[in-house]
Amino acid sequence: MSKRSDLIQGTLDLLILNTISLAPQHGWAIAKRIQQVSNEVLQVSQGALYPALHRLEQQGWIRAEWRVTEAGRDAKFYSMTKAGRTQLQKELAQWERLSNAVGQVIRMLPEAAS
Amino acid sequence: MKVRRFYDIFRLRLRSLLGKTAVESELDRELRFHFDQLVQENIARGMPPTEARHAAMRMIGGLAQIQEECRDMRRTNQLETIWNDLKYAVRILSRTPGFTAVIVLTLALSIGANSAIFSVIEGVLLRPLPFAHPERIVRIFLTSDTYPKFPLNPNDFRDFRSRNRTFDSLAAITRQDVQLSGAGEPVMLRAFEVTAGYFRVLGFTPARGREFTTTDELPEHGRLAILSDRFWHARFAADRNIVGRSITLNAVPFTVVGVMPPGVQHPGNDYHAVPDGDTVDVWYPFTFEGSPNNRGSHFMDGIGRLKPGVTPEQGNADLSGVLNQLGNEHPGDKGWHIYLVPLFREMVGRTQRMLFVLLGAVGLLLLIACVNAANLLLARSSVRQREIAVRSALGASRTRIVRQLLTESLLIALAGAALGTLLALGGVRALVFLLPPGFPRAAEIHLNLVVFGFTLLIALLTGLLFGLVPALAAARTDIQQSLREGGRASTGSQRQVRVRDVLVVGETGLACVLLIAAGLMLHSFVNLLRADPGFRPQQVLTASISLPRQQYHDGPQRSRFYAQLIDSVASLPGVRSAGMGTDLPWTGYDENTGFDVEGRSAAANDNNSARYHAASPDYFHALGVTLLHGRFFTASDDAKATKVLIVNEAMARRYWPGADAVGKRITFEDHPKEKDWVRVVGVLGDVKDQADSAAGHPAFWWPLAQAPFPDVSVAIRAQGDPVLLTDQLRTAVKRLDPGLAVADVRLMKQIADASVATQRFSLFLVGLFAALALVLATIGMYGVISYSVSQRMHEFGMRMALGAKPGDLMRLILGQGVKRALAGAAIGLLCAAALARLLGNLLYGVSGADPVTFFAVAVLAIATAAIACYLPARRAAGADPMHSLRTE
Repeated sequence: MSKRSDLIQGTLDLLILNTISLAPQHGWAIAKRIQQVSNEVLQVSQGALYPALHRLEQQGWIRAEWRVTEAGRDAKFYSMTKAGRTQLQKELAQWERLSNAVGQVIRMLPEAAS
Repeated sequence: MKVRRFYDIFRLRLRSLLGKTAVESELDRELRFHFDQLVQENIARGMPPTEARHAAMRMIGGLAQIQEECRDMRRTNQLETIWNDLKYAVRILSRTPGFTAVIVLTLALSIGANSAIFSVIEGVLLRPLPFAHPERIVRIFLTSDTYPKFPLNPNDFRDFRSRNRTFDSLAAITRQDVQLSGAGEPVMLRAFEVTAGYFRVLGFTPARGREFTTTDELPEHGRLAILSDRFWHARFAADRNIVGRSITLNAVPFTVVGVMPPGVQHPGNDYHAVPDGDTVDVWYPFTFEGSPNNRGSHFMDGIGRLKPGVTPEQGNADLSGVLNQLGNEHPGDKGWHIYLVPLFREMVGRTQRMLFVLLGAVGLLLLIACVNAANLLLARSSVRQREIAVRSALGASRTRIVRQLLTESLLIALAGAALGTLLALGGVRALVFLLPPGFPRAAEIHLNLVVFGFTLLIALLTGLLFGLVPALAAARTDIQQSLREGGRASTGSQRQVRVRDVLVVGETGLACVLLIAAGLMLHSFVNLLRADPGFRPQQVLTASISLPRQQYHDGPQRSRFYAQLIDSVASLPGVRSAGMGTDLPWTGYDENTGFDVEGRSAAANDNNSARYHAASPDYFHALGVTLLHGRFFTASDDAKATKVLIVNEAMARRYWPGADAVGKRITFEDHPKEKDWVRVVGVLGDVKDQADSAAGHPAFWWPLAQAPFPDVSVAIRAQGDPVLLTDQLRTAVKRLDPGLAVADVRLMKQIADASVATQRFSLFLVGLFAALALVLATIGMYGVISYSVSQRMHEFGMRMALGAKPGDLMRLILGQGVKRALAGAAIGLLCAAALARLLGNLLYGVSGADPVTFFAVAVLAIATAAIACYLPARRAAGADPMHSLRTE
């Protein structure tokens, strides 16, 4: 299961889950939303997004269904399952822990060097 | 939530597999939507449409790759591989239908045999007994130096019941069949006298009415009956008002106080045994009568339910303590010990060895079928080498090829299991039909989910087992060589040939083990049939008659009836002789008494014991028992004449060793007067207890006229077919007393056959499995030799061209087979010698290392190997050498 993504492994899952936790979205909207919210810093390539969506669906965290967009087109919308919500909490907690840890290490380094 | 998630996952996987086109088109639409959005965005930025499309295409990158990755994520590929492997396996296997059929059939036979035998084991040994908390139920016996397993005395039992501290409830039963009269033919009912609490011990409560109480055990209170559900339906049409009604048993009114629910099972008993299962018609209360100090007569089967948490050992110690007290109170209770047996062991323990021997045999058969399948697959994989080489040249990994080949073998095994289950359906029914009479829990044997699970498990295991060797061997194929050899049938690598040799030797060895087991059992069986039973069972009709005590209350009345019946039966045309006795040989009768031998000291007489019987004058003629010395009884040995008896050889030898027993006297009284001495007038040849008993049990016979017991067996020796006398016997009885039932009408031959039924049953099955094993080994041998011959045709052609005679070739090829058979037989004989003692009591008069059997099996193995080699050898010898050389 290779993934071409600039994001740390697993982070994309977290972003996707977080994004659709508010409202069901289709793949395009998810990518756009991540891009907007991160001020264009995070670019989610299609090559990473769709395999990730399919994997999350296969794992039972999210569910897919076909709906009509505002523009009147058929699109595959992804929404959260109950299991996905629990998973999101777990991943958020883990992310907090990880980023805190990384932050601490980074802040400590210059002192050690001087 | 978890469940929901797994359901979702399962649904999606299934969809990926089965709804492939739908899933693919959805993926297509999803990515197309994304692409369109991208194009629109580009247009919105001001690009012309064509350029917008191109830019979008560039951005989206390799569409096919994204799709492939999505498929990976959906596990579609993995599932698809399995699916493709399966489809491919089906195609490959159906391309060689004969080959596939042979493997599937042999596997089906052996898997089916395993399922059938396992279902017997499951029903008899693995399933809990049909009682509440069966692990707490124990059977209670006495044991002494002379009697390993003896029934209880009723007064002892009453003391056990009141003084024990470890039992929830304790009960004793004794069989006492009763005759039901009233509407219709009088019939004998299987009946038990039971103490209060009997059903509580087993964990049953009456469906209607009540159980017996201790008050019902008092004399004059006990004319009560509880009916079994089956009997209630059969005889009283499930009359709802039966409780409180009166029925006539033994010509006396009994009040029905209860009806048991369906499914009440009899736990089996020793004294006048009745098979376990739903076999009892009526229960009525046991009455404690006579002096409570009588501790001498033992005839009750004890059964008890231990309190929760109490082990049988603790129960044993508790009752032993009570018995010790009793020994101080009553001299008759000295010398006995308690013998507690868990009910499970008592009921089914004796079948364990036979069933495990059968399971072992059938397991060996499965192993042989596995080896055989491996061998055949291996032979084919050398033919398929090219195909496999091409596949690996095209990039298939070794794992991929092993997986493909394993899929094939699993498919074969599962097909074998499916067909085997069908065979087992019929096989189990046949097995139950063939089971020895009285086999415990026979009614509970059938195929069920546990058996299906077992079948599936062994199918998967065998599939892996026989598939792995050929698959690994095939995956090791040298691609270059295989491909270079081109269209020519490739010679299997040297290693493969060796593996196949090992397999065929192993197969022969395993088959030899089974053949030896079967041979030993056959030899035992022949010994059993040849052993002199001490009587001649052919052409003898038997039946039993029970005279109700109320009607025939004194001896003379009974004697008169017996004399009349014998007279009228003996005068029938076609009757050679007719007699009556307390019992028949080989029916488990075991009534014993002590006695004093004249001229011996009191101490020497203390432990005297012999089995007592009574017989009419012609009883011995009718059964064909031989007289060694003295005389048989005559009509003049009646109640008024001097008391006489006939002893058997075992008794004569034990009590009058080295002397003629005829003329000697014994007595049954402690202070005998002259009239209490009984004179021995004849010595009979021994009749063993069972066909496989080592020796006869000391026994004597009173003249029936001097000891007119109320329950007798009739034996009639016929001139022609004894069955034809059945109706005439019934008529003769009816003419004397229309209220009497003639029960247990059987041929003595049937009784004799039943006593070797266990041996016959296991011999039949093990023999069948051994025959199958031999066939499989022969197929394996044929496969190996025939393959090696086809590989060496070129060489043979060369040899012929250089002057070898066809006979030389024949000898060469036969030698190959015989060499392998010899190696296999040698291994098999060694294993068999080590395993033979497991057969234990299934053998009779044969040692585990019986030279006759071992020699015969070795000859058989070599002979079949020669037969298996004959066809390939003839092919080689008959081939035109020029042709053989040219085709290569």
